[in-house]
Amino acid sequence: MEKRQVRNNIRKLRFQNNEMTQEQLAEKVGVTRQTIIALEGGKYAPSLELAFRISLAFGVPLQEVFSYEPEGAEK
Amino acid sequence: MSYQEKNITVAMVSHLLILAYYFFNLFPIIQSGDWVANRLYALWLVVIVATILVTIIGSILTNIILSIVEAIRSRKYEDPRFITDERDHLIELKGIRIEYITYSIGVLSSILAFIFGQPPLLMISTIFAFGILAEIAGDIAKITLYRRGL
Repeated sequence: MEKRQVRNNIRKLRFQNNEMTQEQLAEKVGVTRQTIIALEGGKYAPSLELAFRISLAFGVPLQEVFSYEPEGAEK
Repeated sequence: MSYQEKNITVAMVSHLLILAYYFFNLFPIIQSGDWVANRLYALWLVVIVATILVTIIGSILTNIILSIVEAIRSRKYEDPRFITDERDHLIELKGIRIEYITYSIGVLSSILAFIFGQPPLLMISTIFAFGILAEIAGDIAKITLYRRGL
């Protein structure tokens, strides 16, 4: 089976949303800032619930925030 | 360093101190070969009570001190956000797995030592030592995972 990984556009979406800080996003979705850092760095794949909370915080569909791409693929 | 990392570091230092105390008292007994049950029972009791107390008191003190430091730093009092989320729970679980693996190795090696003719008190002493070592291994694993980003 092809190896894939969860990628996200959180950093881009934060800047598009009035340059929202990591701390503000963390507070909005109920996690720590360290978790947002890990998410943006692609080191942590969130639970489905957290993924939905993040997409709700940005007011965009889930697939605009997260994608499931082959490992090593360039964005 | 996040709140969780500070908390784990405090716990790890406490566990290291308890382990040092345990070995400091256990080695003379091993060297002399004088396996007096009462001395060992007292040592085990001290170690168990100290581990429980240090874990609880250490956690409470870390919370208080971090709140004070945060209040001084921000120059106003507000409830600090010492929350734990799903990533913290995941790291906690991974840490516990390392603890169980370390402890299982300890128990297995203690039983093997007993099978090969070592006194039963040595076997239980080794199990206690691995109990504390497992805690330290778990703490190191958790700190490593926090440092690496997961």
